[in-house]
Amino acid sequence: MKIAFTAKGTGWDSPIDPRLGRTEYILLYDEDKDELSVTDNREIEGVAHGAGPKTAQLLFDINPDVLITGNGPGDNAAVVLKQIPMKIYVGAGELTVKTALEAYKNNELKEF
Amino acid sequence: MKEIVVISGKGGTGKTSITASFAMLGGKDIVVADCDVDAADMHLLMKPNVKTEEDFYSGNAAVIDRAKCLNCGKCASVCRFDAINLIEYLYSVSALNCEGCGYCARVCPVKVISMVEQNVGKLYISATKADNMMVHARLLSGADNSGKLVARVKKEAKQIAQETGKGFVIVDGSPGIGCPVISSLSGADFVVLVTEPTVSGLHDLKRVYELVNRFQISAGCIINKADINQDVVNHIEIYLRENNIVHLTDLPYDESFTSAMTIGQTIVEYDHDKLADLLTVSWNKIKQILSKEQQ
Repeated sequence: MKIAFTAKGTGWDSPIDPRLGRTEYILLYDEDKDELSVTDNREIEGVAHGAGPKTAQLLFDINPDVLITGNGPGDNAAVVLKQIPMKIYVGAGELTVKTALEAYKNNELKEF
Repeated sequence: MKEIVVISGKGGTGKTSITASFAMLGGKDIVVADCDVDAADMHLLMKPNVKTEEDFYSGNAAVIDRAKCLNCGKCASVCRFDAINLIEYLYSVSALNCEGCGYCARVCPVKVISMVEQNVGKLYISATKADNMMVHARLLSGADNSGKLVARVKKEAKQIAQETGKGFVIVDGSPGIGCPVISSLSGADFVVLVTEPTVSGLHDLKRVYELVNRFQISAGCIINKADINQDVVNHIEIYLRENNIVHLTDLPYDESFTSAMTIGQTIVEYDHDKLADLLTVSWNKIKQILSKEQQ
């Protein structure tokens, strides 16, 4: 299974970025390979409008099974994300990537 | 560090007056972020002493390389905003009308149209009279607020709060429900909804709360001018109960709001009586809710 995180850094101890559209990084944990890979999304800072759909497009391309984030997508991003079978879990805004994964495994996060 | 965002949906409900009061009450323990950049007026109340300023760039406008342009007019024919017109027999872009979509640059047969980032205004970091720091911006004529600018203002404010160990960032949120508001809300810990008992006050409260609820942020509501229409107040109260929104307080209609504003003071400085008390109680309630959530 592939699990994606919106994050403010590139490692397991990085805080989750509660924002979906303007998240700085997207981390992808490939459970089968036990590998964490990084997609740099910092150029989103330069986007004046439409950050949500743009990052949603990126997630669409990465195509993970699960996304763990803070606030969840806004209306426009949600329209894009509905097109892929990815499940979204929210409420991890104050956790680190590592603790968010644990919280997800323990069913402590809410499905969007 | 907790981030509190004050929004209203409808204009004129007293959002900025109330935010500025909270900024006074929070004093040293907060950083203020004015994200109502289209009509930024918090600085009138907080009397900021500007420490740093920088130009802010957001959005693009088309620029035609005159030397290489064939003057074919293809760009003008596709522009949906009538931003490209013949001026003295040459196709020219009006930067004010250009929305920056880039369609013209795409269709130009000789590729001589480039999209250039626009300087839309200035970003400031200032010290206020409330003994705290404030991040704010001023837009140039014709420029508009964006999710990008709001995200930047908030980022600076959070960074200052983190570096100096402050407890709160208080954000004067953007109006409406569009991109800047979404950017104001994202990452917030608590939302204060300021409303008034009018039909449009309630309507816009509902509209903006839909957004807050979508992002699952806990919220509290202040009903300002609560004595002008009991009937609508009842409707608002029902709505708050149904949606689990904390009813922080009711403020009476009071011309002190305007009088304080005209002399550049916040309510808590101007009124030492009922309004100041009610606002102090609300501020303490918000702090209490946030410290409970942390446990």
